[in-house]
Amino acid sequence: MNRILFYMEMRRNAWSLILWSTVIGVLIFFTMSFFGSVLHYQQQIAAMVALVPAMAIKMRGFSNISDIFSILGFYTANNLIYMMLLGSIFSIVLSSNILLKEEYGKTAEYLMSRPITRREIFTTKLALAFLNIILLNILATLIGFIAIMVYKKGTFNLQPFLVISLYTLLLNLLFGALGLFISVTMKRAKPVTSFCVGLVLVLYFLYTISRMSGVDGTFGYLSPFKWVNSNVLSPSYGVEFSRIAAFVGMTALLLLVSGLIYRRKDILT
Amino acid sequence: MDIIEINHLTKSYGRSRGIEDLTLSVPKGDIFGFIGPNGSGKSTTIRILLNLIFPSSGSATIFGLDVVRDSQKIRSRTGYVPSDASMYDRMKVMEFLTFGAAFYGAKNNDDRIHYLLNIFDLDPGRNIAELSMGNKKKVSIIQAMIHRPELLILDEPTSGLDPLIQSRFFDLLHEENRQGTTVFFSSHTLSEVQAFCKTVAIVKDGKIVNIEEIASLRKKQLKKVRILFPAVRTIDDLGLSGIGAVESGSGKSLAFLYSGDINFLIGKLAVQPVENLSIEEPSLDEIFLHYYK
Repeated sequence: MNRILFYMEMRRNAWSLILWSTVIGVLIFFTMSFFGSVLHYQQQIAAMVALVPAMAIKMRGFSNISDIFSILGFYTANNLIYMMLLGSIFSIVLSSNILLKEEYGKTAEYLMSRPITRREIFTTKLALAFLNIILLNILATLIGFIAIMVYKKGTFNLQPFLVISLYTLLLNLLFGALGLFISVTMKRAKPVTSFCVGLVLVLYFLYTISRMSGVDGTFGYLSPFKWVNSNVLSPSYGVEFSRIAAFVGMTALLLLVSGLIYRRKDILT
Repeated sequence: MDIIEINHLTKSYGRSRGIEDLTLSVPKGDIFGFIGPNGSGKSTTIRILLNLIFPSSGSATIFGLDVVRDSQKIRSRTGYVPSDASMYDRMKVMEFLTFGAAFYGAKNNDDRIHYLLNIFDLDPGRNIAELSMGNKKKVSIIQAMIHRPELLILDEPTSGLDPLIQSRFFDLLHEENRQGTTVFFSSHTLSEVQAFCKTVAIVKDGKIVNIEEIASLRKKQLKKVRILFPAVRTIDDLGLSGIGAVESGSGKSLAFLYSGDINFLIGKLAVQPVENLSIEEPSLDEIFLHYYK
């Protein structure tokens, strides 16, 4: 890793990280502020939701409507989407641009005429992207935790909260690796932001469809969103080796292949 | 000792041509011109030398080191001015220069940076994004020279520079060359290569057409001549030897390339009525047509 490049990149990306953290933090806090009202109108909400088709309830991510009357269930049902969807978009956009922007911004020739190896450039940019993703997740988790502490009524179990946060982090890192992979396979020096955002949305849509009741949701595992176990209120909820292995394995594979491609890649201008 | 050695280097981009079987060597201390029209393969060659792209076949060494395997070591001793002076727009000039210099591990570069800024009359406090193309080019030149490289690779370095700054730039290059820096100078302008370089390689359609000493190239003295007569003439009426590519061979206006003695031409024209005469430097393409058809 090259420290000179790392600090420069850190400064370059600082505003983006601050902006995304603020937006996600505000959304989480704002959403959690409704928990008191949900509890207050518990019976009316339950009666109203009873009229909604079961398929729609499942699509929304509830196994049971009573889930939202616990602070953790409410947090997961309403806020998980921010970190799963917005966090993944942040991750893939950041990482897909971090190498490619040197090429379409035409600074690659300048950077690569310095005495720095391709491996150093790759690992530095990767470290920077992953650090940003981790920081965003830490900040969002911290804000989520504070919001839960502020708005909770009754008990709160920390362990499932930390587990779901870990899954979300792994999901975001996987999308980070996917973004890098897409960028090194590009044959033209142009931004791939639209494609990457579209890809995240398609995968999220696949995951949502797979959760509809009456549908065999096996195909949903094509989407990494499905690899996150969001059933936080299940008594057996915890870290599952198979899910962690899937996230870590796929992330490592994408990074390895990306690194190998980048080593022999003709730099685009 | 040769600083750059290129052996049968080929780069193909699928169906389109890059460079083909290119071989040349640049001796230590030389100012070597690398000249050819746009799209002839100059930048491709340079990009291989800096390991920005990989050769399809052949090899190249700089300082005796392989350009693919040892690119980091090579670049630590090389300065490069790209043809496109793109840089990190959010930085200020001084910030950009110290950032670039930091990669070479050299500290206390401030005196050197200010010396170069002074030559190019550049304000270190300005934002890169606000700079004109010419000023960006100046920054690009400075960043390549801060660490006193043993080899300077320059790809169209004068484009965008005004004549005064060009002159200062050439003075600076001569000074660096006197102190031992080898210069590899890519251009499509023959006059600046003729004025500045010792040797020139002429590249066309991805191939080396010729490698010549500038002195021998000068002897050829190719000129583009246009003469307007009051009456119709043919090129044969002039009785000149050394006439090449004829653009207009008969009529009141004659235009042709001339590689003979210029005094002889003027002597011939002095004894007959001429309405107008222009003698100018031919374009590179015209030279290629003349010598390297």
